[in-house]
Amino acid sequence: MAASNLGTVVRFEVVRTLTKRRFWVATLFVPVLIGVVFALVTLSSRSTSTAADQQAQAHFAFEYSDASGLVSPAIARAAGGQEQTDVAQGVAAARAGRIAAFFQFPADPSTQPITITAQDVGVFANGKYDAVAQAVLKTSVTERIGDPKLATLAAGGITTRTTTYKDGAPAGGIATVIPPLIYVVLFFIVMALLGQQMLAATLEEKENRVTEMILTTIEARSLIIGKILSLFVVGLVQMLVFALPVVVGYLVFRDQLSFPQLDLAHLTLHPGQMIVGALILAGGFALFTGALVAIGAIMPTAKDAGPISGALIITLVVPVYVSSLIISDPGAPIVQGMTFFPFTAPMTALVRNALGSLGTGEAVIVIVELAVAAAIVLWLAVQLFKRGSIEYTRRVDLRGMFRRRG
Amino acid sequence: MPQREPLVEIRDFRMDFGQATVIAGLSFDVLTGETFGFLGSNGSGKTTTIRALLGIYRPTAGTLHIAGRPFSPRRSVRLGYLPEERGLYKKESVIDTMVYFGRLKGMTAPAARTWSADYLERVELGDKQKARLDTLSGGQQQKVQLGVTIMDDPELLILDEPTKGFDPVNRRLLMGIIEEQKKAGATVMMVTHQMDEVERLCDRVVLLKDGAARAYGTVTEVQEEFGGTTVTVRHTGALPASGSFRVLSDVEGLAELDLARGTDLGALLAELMDAGAGVSQFTPHRRSLDSIFVEVYGEQAGE
Repeated sequence: MAASNLGTVVRFEVVRTLTKRRFWVATLFVPVLIGVVFALVTLSSRSTSTAADQQAQAHFAFEYSDASGLVSPAIARAAGGQEQTDVAQGVAAARAGRIAAFFQFPADPSTQPITITAQDVGVFANGKYDAVAQAVLKTSVTERIGDPKLATLAAGGITTRTTTYKDGAPAGGIATVIPPLIYVVLFFIVMALLGQQMLAATLEEKENRVTEMILTTIEARSLIIGKILSLFVVGLVQMLVFALPVVVGYLVFRDQLSFPQLDLAHLTLHPGQMIVGALILAGGFALFTGALVAIGAIMPTAKDAGPISGALIITLVVPVYVSSLIISDPGAPIVQGMTFFPFTAPMTALVRNALGSLGTGEAVIVIVELAVAAAIVLWLAVQLFKRGSIEYTRRVDLRGMFRRRG
Repeated sequence: MPQREPLVEIRDFRMDFGQATVIAGLSFDVLTGETFGFLGSNGSGKTTTIRALLGIYRPTAGTLHIAGRPFSPRRSVRLGYLPEERGLYKKESVIDTMVYFGRLKGMTAPAARTWSADYLERVELGDKQKARLDTLSGGQQQKVQLGVTIMDDPELLILDEPTKGFDPVNRRLLMGIIEEQKKAGATVMMVTHQMDEVERLCDRVVLLKDGAARAYGTVTEVQEEFGGTTVTVRHTGALPASGSFRVLSDVEGLAELDLARGTDLGALLAELMDAGAGVSQFTPHRRSLDSIFVEVYGEQAGE
């Protein structure tokens, strides 16, 4: 008999999952949806931008009055405008359709609106009046300032660069938070994507009545660990499939979508934080997987297992609801409680680790606690699978199972 | 015949489920190389015993050993187990499922694939290699499951009602395969309600009743324990009163005699002739296991 069948189980589980059409339909659905949304937003954004440019450069005959004295007659003329000192006459001409529009530039355009009277050319095309009126005033003011730098500053084009220090060394800011924060995203995505598969991992053996065949061919522990490893591989594939369109979308469309420009070179990796994050992630993954496998082992069907697994998943989401408290007051009793309660610990501790509010002592306690809890739950899952998966049609009597002498 | 070592040893096995005792102090051996019939009515605890033997259930008390130790998939003999509850990965293809189990049993992937293809050809499923299991009929799935059971030349075959779900033609095929395994040196332990199969295949049997062994030994020993031999006698004169037999029936000169244990057939015939019974036919029979089963379990067997 084979000494170790882990590789066989992992290969079988991974291959059969990745060769299923429904897996790819489910996996590709979200990125395809994201792609479609990206495409629509980009097209819409491009179209809007182009239309705005075209409207600002639209050329039509208009008259204007200028109480502010800021409008340059030459610039207005170049745009198709002619000054009209009689406001009532200008308004009447626009209303009668003799001219396309009449603009009244107020005495103080910084506090008063430009009044526009114009021929209706449709809801969207009417935007050209607003665009041309603003363009005439802006260009006139820029010309008046004379210096392009001053004009840019006056338009609010000011940037800042902040450097903060912690213990005499640059603190790094958001650049140090992003890398360990990736663990939070990873953990959440993996659990969201794989939770159901973890639950179904052992239910399948039970529902297919294959438990006896499999348990007499391979040790239950090897089977469970093999299944967990295969879930991890499948999760990685799913994450890659998810990440690819997001990365491509970011790189290709970031200008159109006004994404912030992230300079990855400035991201700072603190080895300690990254190692702590990885250990918490691994412990959390093992704990939740073990718990879901255990639930699958004692329930006859996925439907029966749903409510209990749902309750488990809620413990994953609870820290999200108190995230503002985790960020602003990590010492609060509720945050402390969630840091050390095994099922809320992964999310809470990962966020605190990313923000730098998880002390070394706390990190050690959480890592050890998760490792011990995961080991216990995995052991329990194996025992429940060995004893419980033979109960094909009914829920396992846990008390009876453990009361029975070994 | 050389003394054979026990491959399966069950001693003082007791199994309780809650307040109910299903097995109470069961002990028996299955010897290396023999075909052993594990008999009993429905619900008598046969499957429970097998599950406990294979470590699926924890026994309440007693020891259940295979090759001298509790069963472990990694350390025990090569096992082929066909459980009563049949099932495989229904959404997977026939060949992938067989290769997976072959790999788990220690075969290389190419060897498992070749063996599976040959087996499927033999059981007339050669064209179903890539079919999903849930597209096969119940009988076809049974054949695949049997194939998975006998992969990798098992040293111990445990078959829990192997003919369940097979039609007579496929039952014959199955029995042929079991006989082949036996000839190849496998020890076979089978649960079945087909007593003709037991008489034909099994060297020894145990009859389980009320959680304990009601009879245990070779088929002949069990037959003798339950009345052993009967004789059909056609006679013209009266049958004498004798301690050597009791008359089961006697209609129009055709009598059925149940012989006392150790009765010599020649001496009996001479006794009848001397008594003037006028014997024109004297045909001895072994009592069938089927009738013994009915006697032991009575109405319970039909439950």
